[in-house]
Amino acid sequence: MIRLSVISNKNKPIHVDIMAKTTSEKEGLAVAIVPEVNERELVSRAQGGDRDAFSELVRIHAQGVLNVIFRMCGDAQIAEDAAQETFIRVWSHLGSFRADASLRNWLYRIALNTATDMLRKEKRILPGAVEDFHLTDPGPGPEGLFLQEESIALVQQAIRALPDASRAVLVLREYEGLSYHEIADALDIPVGTVMSRLNYARRLLKEKLEGQMVPLMEAEHV
Amino acid sequence: MSNHMTEWLSAYLDGELRGSRLHQVEEHLAACEACRAELQSLQGLSAALHEVSAPEFTSSERFAAQVNLRLPHELPKASKRRVQEAGWWMIPVSLLAVWVLINTSAVVGDVISAAKELGLLNSVPAWLIPASSSGAIWSGTLGQLGILSGDGLEWAETTEAFTRNTLPQLTWQVSIALLYLGWIAIWWARQMRQEHGQLLEG
Repeated sequence: MIRLSVISNKNKPIHVDIMAKTTSEKEGLAVAIVPEVNERELVSRAQGGDRDAFSELVRIHAQGVLNVIFRMCGDAQIAEDAAQETFIRVWSHLGSFRADASLRNWLYRIALNTATDMLRKEKRILPGAVEDFHLTDPGPGPEGLFLQEESIALVQQAIRALPDASRAVLVLREYEGLSYHEIADALDIPVGTVMSRLNYARRLLKEKLEGQMVPLMEAEHV
Repeated sequence: MSNHMTEWLSAYLDGELRGSRLHQVEEHLAACEACRAELQSLQGLSAALHEVSAPEFTSSERFAAQVNLRLPHELPKASKRRVQEAGWWMIPVSLLAVWVLINTSAVVGDVISAAKELGLLNSVPAWLIPASSSGAIWSGTLGQLGILSGDGLEWAETTEAFTRNTLPQLTWQVSIALLYLGWIAIWWARQMRQEHGQLLEG
């Protein structure tokens, strides 16, 4: 069990006991709670040029930004480069960040733009040649395992073949778990557009994947 | 068949529907096998997407150190957006201030005129009292020249008084009101961009 002490908005300390057995669970809780407690102060200090405060913000949000960019481009090396570039852009434009806005949503917007720019520059985006894959029924044993790996590659490729705008919405929803309002805020688009882009992305993915990997999709939701 | 609710199933799956829309979709799903199958298919797709795991990235501490080394020496840029935002909110404040100023000066002018007519300002040095603008310059001239007389002269004097005193006031008021309404319309349009989930609440 881990005891967390946080300060309420009435400046009263609140003690919360949370069950976290492993070290990684405790670290995860700390990472989840720290932004709520200190983020505004860290942003304010970083806006004044405090590099340590900015490094702390980078540490807090690094994995989220890396994950978003990786989901956008599907390449770990590009993700690392684009994530570094993202935080450098963030540092340069931190003065324009409004204190009442969500830093995470703002970071994701810059990360998605950076990823898109970098992919265009590097021209390393793979064509969505999903039709090239022809899967058969994945049976048990090594062959089934291989086919499952191939199915994962197929899903990755289908995601990469989506238009940038729809892919960004899908990534923020499916992999980062953002609500429609948070996505709208991050991408500066109306909620209705979030919904239509998500519908479009899912429809395209279903069209591309359904015929070829029905067994995987059915197995997952049984 | 045209009554299927497939366009709402994604939002339903994501737990984004509220109120009557949620109720509507739930009722429809209970009755429609095709939409239930579509929902199941979306759930399967979501599960398949989560099969794709992310690789092990550089640790957050090391990553932060790498970023720190690449940071430019200059401080973050001064807030252009903050200035723009302040400018945006200064528009209605300025309009209100101009409106108050114009109305105050009109009221003060009326009070001075009334006081002058009542003889209350006789002891005040003349240079402190603004010269009263005659409401009949060209109509008076026309009267003196004998071009206008009687009702015609009265009508000309009223028209001149209106164009010299009331019309400028009215023009100012309408202009300020239109600018203010324009600002409100733009502000409203900006607010609507976010839609505040009304679409999803049905």
